[in-house]
Amino acid sequence: MANTIIGSSIIIDGEISGDEDLVIQGTVKGRISLKESLYVESSGIVEADIDTQNVEIAGRVTGNIVASDKVELKADCRVIGDIKSPRILIADGAAFKGNVDMDIKD
Amino acid sequence: MSVNLKMFLKKTIIGPSILINGRLSGEEDLTVRGRVEGEVALSRRLIVDKTGIVKANVSVKHAIISGVVVGNITATDCVELTPGGRMVGDIAAPRVIIVEGASFRGRVHMGDAQTLREARERLGTKPAATSQTSASARFSSSSSLSPISRPPSVPRLILRSTPIPLTQKPIPRPLNTMANVPPSPPSPPEDIPPTDALPMDDDDEFSGDKPLPPEPPAFMEANQKKVVLKKKK
Repeated sequence: MANTIIGSSIIIDGEISGDEDLVIQGTVKGRISLKESLYVESSGIVEADIDTQNVEIAGRVTGNIVASDKVELKADCRVIGDIKSPRILIADGAAFKGNVDMDIKD
Repeated sequence: MSVNLKMFLKKTIIGPSILINGRLSGEEDLTVRGRVEGEVALSRRLIVDKTGIVKANVSVKHAIISGVVVGNITATDCVELTPGGRMVGDIAAPRVIIVEGASFRGRVHMGDAQTLREARERLGTKPAATSQTSASARFSSSSSLSPISRPPSVPRLILRSTPIPLTQKPIPRPLNTMANVPPSPPSPPEDIPPTDALPMDDDDEFSGDKPLPPEPPAFMEANQKKVVLKKKK
């Protein structure tokens, strides 16, 4: 149940942490650590290191992403940074620059 | 699916388990149900819900506090402490509302009367603006006497000045004050007590105004006649 929404005109410079879903339509700089899902919508701009369970990105993200479950880069997103997660989905039209680590053991 | 639904909500909500540490700024309503520490700067409303905790210096237009705020609040419009609201810090705002059940420790600075008046005018400019365009120069000059704080006092004045005989006459006046011209009514009540001469002058000047000027002389004549009758008795 996602009940935290960072609206499109909001700018947060600092650290966000919590145990619930977070929807970002605005701008967040700093650090995000959640135990649930993070949704960066198309108007959302994130310049932060992200540590969550799930990430869905349709906006812009600059920073390293660590997800315990899944990272999904949707069409028209722009992501710069390293991604570490067991499941990573990159849709057609997504722009991504960085390393991918699915944590595969040899 | 859920993401699409969320897109239609055009305000920001910080959920109960969320902690934000840093600087938060924006131009939309912000509802805090979790915890925000650092600094908050908004051009609209800040709503701190029952579960919300804000430890920050806050600069907003309007703050409604039902939770906990530790820090100073500067509001351009209003700060409201609801029954569950608890706050420690200083408030600077033209309007401050603290209701029964709210707890507050700190200083309150409402600014001088000028800023208060400006804030009120900003909230309810429309009647004052119309009165200035429609009314004459004298009315506009009288409107400079704190136009919006006046009308509430006018009915009281009328009630005191018209004791028993005139139950019907006072009614049209408050209606006029409510409907058309807030600043205009102060002048007739002020004119009534001294003599008959002043309202009569007003009649000559403002023949265009229908209800207000003709009535005062009628009042006075009625009053005087009855007084005279009593004296004769």
